[in-house]
Amino acid sequence: MSAGLDLNLDLWFRVQAFLVREARLKDDHQLTDWLALFSDDLRYWMPVITNRIGRDLGKEMSAFGEVAHFDDDKTSLTNRVKRLQTGMAWAETPPSRTRHLLGNVEIMAVAPDGVLQVRSNYLMYRSHLEHDHELFSGYRLDHLRPHGDAWLICRRDIILDQSVVTQKNLGIFF
Amino acid sequence: MKSHFEHVLDMKLGDLDRSIFSDPQTFELELERIFARCWLLLGHDSMLPKPNDFFTTYMGRDPVIVTRKADGTIGCFLNMCRHRGNRVCRADVGNARAFSCPFHGWTFGNDGRLSNVPGYKEIYLEKLDLDAHGLVPVARIDSYKGLLFATFDTSAPSLLEFLGDMAWYLDMILDRRAGGIEFLPGTHKWLVHTNWKFPVDNFIGDSYHGPVSHKSAWVSGFEGMPRRKSGYGYEGFQVNPGGGHGFGVRWAENRDQVFEMALPEFLDYEKERLEESISRLGDLRGLHFSPMHASIFPNVSLLWQGGAMRVWHPKGPKLTEAWGWCFVDKAAPEAYKREKALHMVQRHGTSGTWEADDVDNWVQCHSASEGYVSRRYPQNLEMGLGDEINDPQSIHPDIRGRLGKFQSEINQRGFYQRWAEMMDDPSVPAVPNMSRRDACKVSS
Repeated sequence: MSAGLDLNLDLWFRVQAFLVREARLKDDHQLTDWLALFSDDLRYWMPVITNRIGRDLGKEMSAFGEVAHFDDDKTSLTNRVKRLQTGMAWAETPPSRTRHLLGNVEIMAVAPDGVLQVRSNYLMYRSHLEHDHELFSGYRLDHLRPHGDAWLICRRDIILDQSVVTQKNLGIFF
Repeated sequence: MKSHFEHVLDMKLGDLDRSIFSDPQTFELELERIFARCWLLLGHDSMLPKPNDFFTTYMGRDPVIVTRKADGTIGCFLNMCRHRGNRVCRADVGNARAFSCPFHGWTFGNDGRLSNVPGYKEIYLEKLDLDAHGLVPVARIDSYKGLLFATFDTSAPSLLEFLGDMAWYLDMILDRRAGGIEFLPGTHKWLVHTNWKFPVDNFIGDSYHGPVSHKSAWVSGFEGMPRRKSGYGYEGFQVNPGGGHGFGVRWAENRDQVFEMALPEFLDYEKERLEESISRLGDLRGLHFSPMHASIFPNVSLLWQGGAMRVWHPKGPKLTEAWGWCFVDKAAPEAYKREKALHMVQRHGTSGTWEADDVDNWVQCHSASEGYVSRRYPQNLEMGLGDEINDPQSIHPDIRGRLGKFQSEINQRGFYQRWAEMMDDPSVPAVPNMSRRDACKVSS
């Protein structure tokens, strides 16, 4: 939808509410419920960002298939959640306190089969143990496939603004 | 500050002085006596496929540019303009014949030569000595089967001498198939608030932590360090080739045990390459030894089955920047390479289900080296002390170096002994002298 000229306020509002709930499930550590928002053919991907100059401007993002920060399907994402739920995932025991904030939600395209391409910016604060804390920022491009009266996320590309990750791990979800 | 380091590791008790992880002056001395002297890993040949390709990295705390010069040879220079010291290259990777300093415009060829100075005629009246103001080169650059190393010390031994028998063992990783290995595109970089020696210590010989640290990953579908299903599952050795290097191996009696240890997703490939590996490496390195984890002195680590290669860049006594790559046999099928990248990313990368728990442990261990009282209590490195395998050749006639049991801290002890020897050697690293006024000498 271009420049909001034919903005479907109802659709935009429902997408925003869907994403806000999705963020809350992560912050509340309700990860089993969170996983249910993703389709079985999920691609959950975060590329690596490289500093480039000159002719290479625009090539900062690693290509899909290259070494990435996250490169998960539904099975491996589910296994990541299972790991956190074992009680033995020491790096998240106790779990990080996170606050996922999202904004700048835009419906970029609606495919003929009803799949929405939604771009949003995120800020996520993470506090772990006593002193470890970080602010992550970036944007996401989600593909939302109609499912009942809401959607399933069938693709999530997450762009993290950092080239060097300034935290000890990316052991949390975006 | 310690005046000498000979006694930081008590070889009778296996006690290690914990203050070496936090003392700022020890860290400063490490930059001189370890990082300005040793051969340091820059990356892999495959990162510079074309003429004029470059990438930037660090040697110790010094930023460097690594270039594939027009003639195909590799150059490595301080990423520092000789005028004010500004970084002449702000990109991580790229392709360039020259680097122009963004401050005043001094321009250097990718062979390091100062090729253009704004106002050379009008301002400097052609008096500026261009030859004396090129980018500072490393003393020597060399590669071992594709791995690129450089040293700032003109008096350093050759790379092969520095690696010693570790080079012969590294063939198990680098030379298993014709064509050797390559790094897949993409570098993980992340900051860890710990001393660089903790991760090196972990990778060089800590087979002990797996069942505790990584249990959550094992039981959740992220099997990563395959065990033999027969026996007790931990048959193997810690191998100490000297020089501060070390690695751990699983032992397979025969081909069936090699296949038994392979992860299901890699079994077909293991079957495809085993005979070639044995014919290239012989039966000790190609069949019986199945490398697990390793560190190359001072700051390189790798996991063979995990496909993970690392450099731990020292940033401060309590700050390390981890750089990670995924390596594969060049001759492997594309589908295997993709599978290996996924394996590495999901287990050993920035979001790695194995890596996260390791990193957090090192961060916590580091805290114990900071407290006034806690750092007075040494680390315990006595595992396997006095219980080394005295006649390794009885295990296999080709074995080189010393051998400990699979659960033994022989390699950590070897690392800290080598570290202490270098820290106690007062000779100043002979860094390349580019200056007319002899100012490049490291002041002590």
